[in-house]
Amino acid sequence: MSDRTPKTTHFGYKTVAEDDKVSLVANVFHSVAAKYDVMNDMMSFGIHRLWKRFTIDCSAVRPGQKVLDLAGGTGDLTALFSKRVGPSGKVILADINASMLAVGRDKLRDQGLVDNIDYVQANAEALPFADNSFDIITIAFGLRNVTNKDAALASMFRVLKPGGRLLVLEFSKPQSELLNKAYDFYSFNLLPKMGQLIAGDADSYQYLAESIRMHPDQDTLQQMMEQAGFAEVSYHNLTGGIVALHRGYKF
Amino acid sequence: MLRLGPQLLCTLAEKALAEIIAMDPAAITKLHRLAGRQLAFQLTEFDWRLVLTATRQTILLNLHAEPVDCSIQADLVSLQQLRDPNQLTHLIKQEAVQIEGDIQVAQQFSSFFQQLQPDWEAKAASYLGDGLTHKLQRLLQQLIALIGAKSRELQQMSRELVQDELQLTPSNYELEQFSAEVSQLHARLEQLQYQLKQWQE
Repeated sequence: MSDRTPKTTHFGYKTVAEDDKVSLVANVFHSVAAKYDVMNDMMSFGIHRLWKRFTIDCSAVRPGQKVLDLAGGTGDLTALFSKRVGPSGKVILADINASMLAVGRDKLRDQGLVDNIDYVQANAEALPFADNSFDIITIAFGLRNVTNKDAALASMFRVLKPGGRLLVLEFSKPQSELLNKAYDFYSFNLLPKMGQLIAGDADSYQYLAESIRMHPDQDTLQQMMEQAGFAEVSYHNLTGGIVALHRGYKF
Repeated sequence: MLRLGPQLLCTLAEKALAEIIAMDPAAITKLHRLAGRQLAFQLTEFDWRLVLTATRQTILLNLHAEPVDCSIQADLVSLQQLRDPNQLTHLIKQEAVQIEGDIQVAQQFSSFFQQLQPDWEAKAASYLGDGLTHKLQRLLQQLIALIGAKSRELQQMSRELVQDELQLTPSNYELEQFSAEVSQLHARLEQLQYQLKQWQE
């Protein structure tokens, strides 16, 4: 009997069948893809650019390296990496969502970044790459949308080269109670209204706020990375812990 | 937010540097030779280490402490002295400057920046017109010459003030005289020591 009960997971605050989450998340990103960059700037007051710069700094990327920008969306990190790895390096922009990938590809081509970037539509839980392929893997604001995070971390560990590093940039838990309250008010009252006004979609931004609360906090994600096999896992809280950057190595 | 301050500065500096490099048509050829190299600067006054990465179009900036082709650690004063290549050995011996990695990379970056000649007048002329840009350029040249002259004047005045008016430091002549007297005293002392030794024997 119990075998027939479908496994469930969360989609924001809702509980849904695991098999349905992928398509529900896909609908969210198909809906917001065109306005994704504008909304990012509006929602974060432009600070997301500095969070991404900090990620690039922590990657210590060098010319000639091979980088996987997972859930790379509209390609902000890919653009920064592409310039740094140069013609002898390679950046793979991977995303499960075709609409996001298309927006990212158009944007990067408009910036003249074409030589060292490949685009792959891929599920983070089952990455279509050979073992030990990448020097650096980043996943920015993507892990919380993945249905099975442990499977995704294991898959990233598999494709990372020994000596390589994984960087997870994700919304997290604010460290101060006051900031937490202000952030809650902003997320649940203002964010959906901004989403409605700019992207014409309040529900997707309601999901964003809810999915952030359901995402593991800093210490839990650190443990999950360690369980996946990553070594020397550490994290930096950014903007009071609203966002955290986790870093782990494969040795 | 404060934690991200260095990243903000870095982003702004990178954009400014790209603009400056784009103003020099000869820079691209020189960058092709430098592309793919990384140089790091660590100023002892600050916690962060600035990493310069040369690409075929520009120079990118990052902040991290990981291995690069060449890394220089120095304080601000020593870094200014490094502009004179003759000072390098002296500064390394004094441990005022520490260099790790391929020193040629540092020299290549230094040579690139020294040879960089942004044609800012061409850029400004597209906004202001040729006439106004020319006037502005002459005004700037006059201003730079005036600042240089005033600075030299101020240095001379300060020297005279501390030496002649306030008598806080000796003049060159006084210093030489004092040095000669010390030498004479030293010679006399040695002579006395020698005589004393002879009497003892």
